[in-house]
Amino acid sequence: MSPIHDQSYRHYGGGKAAPGRSWTVIAGAGIKSLIRKRAFMGLLIFAWAPFIVRAVQMYISANYPQAAILNPTAETFRQYLEQQDFFVFVITVYVGAGLIANDRRANALQIYLSKPLMRSEYIAGKLAVLFAFLIAITLVPAMLLLFLKVMFDGNFTFLKTNLFLIPAITIGALLQVTLAAFTMLALSSLSKSARYVGILYVGITFFTSAIYGVLYMITGSSRVSWISIGANVSQVVDVVFRLKPRYTTPWQVSLLVIVALVVVSISVLERRVRGVEVVT
Amino acid sequence: MSETPLLRPIPKAPGYLASALRVFDLSVGEMLWSRRTIFMALVVGAPVLISFFMRMLDALGAPIFHVNGTIMTGPAIFGLMIWVFYLRFTVPVLGVFYGTSLIADEVEDKTITYLFTRPIPRGAVLIGKYFAYLACTFFVVLPSVVIVYLAIVPMRGSLGASFLDLLKDLALLAIGLAVYGAVFAFIGARFKRPLLIGLVFVFGWEQAALAFPGYLKKFTVAYYLQAMVPHAMPNDSVVSLIQGIFHETPGLGESLVWLTLILLVFLWLAAVNVDRKEYVLEQ
Amino acid sequence: MSTPVVTTEHVSKWYGQVIGLNDVTVSVPPGVTGLLGPNGAGKSTFMKLITGQLRPSKGSVKVLGEPIWRNPHLFFQIGFCPEQDAFYERMTGLEWVRALVRLNGLSDKEADEAATRALTEVGLLEAAHKKIGAYSKGMRQRVKLAQALVHDPQLLILDEPLAGMDPIGRRKTIRLIRDWGRAGKSIIVSSHILHEIESMTSNILLINNGRILAEGDVHQIRDLIDEHPHTVYVRAADPHRLARQFLNDVTGDDVRSLRFEPGAVVVETGKPDVFYARLTEMAAGGEFGEIEEVTSPDDNLQAVFQYLVK
Repeated sequence: MSPIHDQSYRHYGGGKAAPGRSWTVIAGAGIKSLIRKRAFMGLLIFAWAPFIVRAVQMYISANYPQAAILNPTAETFRQYLEQQDFFVFVITVYVGAGLIANDRRANALQIYLSKPLMRSEYIAGKLAVLFAFLIAITLVPAMLLLFLKVMFDGNFTFLKTNLFLIPAITIGALLQVTLAAFTMLALSSLSKSARYVGILYVGITFFTSAIYGVLYMITGSSRVSWISIGANVSQVVDVVFRLKPRYTTPWQVSLLVIVALVVVSISVLERRVRGVEVVT
Repeated sequence: MSETPLLRPIPKAPGYLASALRVFDLSVGEMLWSRRTIFMALVVGAPVLISFFMRMLDALGAPIFHVNGTIMTGPAIFGLMIWVFYLRFTVPVLGVFYGTSLIADEVEDKTITYLFTRPIPRGAVLIGKYFAYLACTFFVVLPSVVIVYLAIVPMRGSLGASFLDLLKDLALLAIGLAVYGAVFAFIGARFKRPLLIGLVFVFGWEQAALAFPGYLKKFTVAYYLQAMVPHAMPNDSVVSLIQGIFHETPGLGESLVWLTLILLVFLWLAAVNVDRKEYVLEQ
Repeated sequence: MSTPVVTTEHVSKWYGQVIGLNDVTVSVPPGVTGLLGPNGAGKSTFMKLITGQLRPSKGSVKVLGEPIWRNPHLFFQIGFCPEQDAFYERMTGLEWVRALVRLNGLSDKEADEAATRALTEVGLLEAAHKKIGAYSKGMRQRVKLAQALVHDPQLLILDEPLAGMDPIGRRKTIRLIRDWGRAGKSIIVSSHILHEIESMTSNILLINNGRILAEGDVHQIRDLIDEHPHTVYVRAADPHRLARQFLNDVTGDDVRSLRFEPGAVVVETGKPDVFYARLTEMAAGGEFGEIEEVTSPDDNLQAVFQYLVK
């Protein structure tokens, strides 16, 4: 054997992950790059502030009978998710606007899709980045609140009485997160400017609310709440939490609008995420 | 090695305002036909469509304008749209969208270099782009208001009788666009994530500050603008209800003075920031 | 002694933890100067500092005798052609150049005339009314040059002006730059393509890793690099005989090594002056056969750069 080792290129001889796992690489890279930003971590921590407030509320109500008025109910968890709407909005804009737009700007889409990576994996990876952070400020703290309630009470009475809360929190949070993630990702695929995507998302969200506001004032009826994206989510989540829907629009219509938005978003993503430009 | 040739007599530099106007000439076409303006046109097109739709429904006799036993008149609906859609949404949001992007768009497109290597003060570039923003927004928003007026007011109302209100509304919206634009021009020049800051200011700070009694509301633009609205304030939400309780109305003169001051101060701050900031372009 | 067009005194620029330029003191004389360096050397940082787009973290930058930072008045005398491919794509070439020169205070009529002249000079008059978005890469580079010279500045600063151009376009632009230099303009051109800079000027500024390696005439720099032997290529009728004489002559310790190529001998010498003098005598004497060609393949920018960067 020669004492001088071969310095030339060597092929990788190790194990490889099974196909279909590439999305985890994209998701992991996206999450790590955001976690490194101090401002963003500060925002995430701040998004947990309502959780602290609610946790304190639960502790006090469990340990001080004179504070019974603060006793949480099923509606408390619904309110918590609604309070997190603001942070969901901010984090969606912060994280989601550049997810695909920055790749398009840097012409990285072609590089990604020239690898053994399916378009669906690319989209799934990008979605996972947004999902991870949004779940971290909705589903995770809400479930943790439920857990804390049981811990502070020292018994499972509340949970047994409100067992539906587990699926309700899950479905409610996932509805919030899914709609935000898909619509933002679809918008991000439309432009090379993350700033413009952010503006589009904000514009569409507030615009639909403003239109609904005007129509509500004029007609005195909330039947047109399906126009507002936020109102649709609120309507369906109210139903999921077994509360009286706040608008007169049938909840099925609201759910249909949400599903339609997600379907449109998927369709946009399918057309826009391509390795080559299709000229017809 | 040859001597440096004698420099030719240097022409007189255009003044600050003249430089700004030349930047305006350069920018207004680009801004008017940008995708941002197309988005804005769609946004202000919605109330126009809604007003035509409502007019059609009214002509067909649909009972949609009966609210709590009373029939909504055209002028009342117009006033509602001015409040809810234009004043609370369109004007501040356009201020945020355009104002925060005056220089940022040029930096992102990497065309800022051409403007900063000309013999004009950098601040004049910002002012010129601000003028272009005013031109674009006035050109799109104000005609939309007029069309809505013409479509809606004749429903159980009179165009002539409400004409003065229309003029006041147009002036109000123009002032709002100018002042919000100046505030967000500064935010765009100073901060790294101006869009989020702008939205938190408009939909967070201003809404909250207006709801509290005391001096907090004086640190908003909406306080002075709302004082100039000729229509009654609607109660469309809990926040509006609270704001209505603590609603104080400064005088017209006082509002105009403060709005002018806010505009000039923030525009000056924005120009100073642009003048002193380094812009490192993305490679 | 001519006044430098650009002087920097102990200029450093850092971006956070990354040093872009490191204690650079340099004087750029009038005429055409090539700024050379590999990617990431600090060329663009230097260009941005001398065009007032960046402020030095330390030190001072003066252009035409005045500090450039926040001194827009100097831009009457400076024209800058940036590296980035960025335009107002919706405008035509004429509209764009005209709009920019109006910022110099020209009236509409004057601006129109100046823009037309500038576009003619770069060979874009026929395409002046086409939208820039429809221009080819070479046309886009040329319209950038047009906006830089439209106001007839004394100093042109060109950042990679030949990037993306085809060979014919390159040749034309190089010729233009030489013409402008002969017309009395001072020009600073940056590039990483050595032979193109060599064809424009012999006055260079070599930069690497944020530091200036050398400045001045490329041949003088080459001569100063003592530790690197000069290579001399001698094509002769009898190269072996010549080689014997190079080695036999005991007075000459100027030959470090030699090798043969078909019909020639290539000599490495540490004392080029001594060697050339000896070679001249040998050629004049005629006893060692005909000497057909004598060249120095490494008396050029590539060699200088390689020696200094290594």
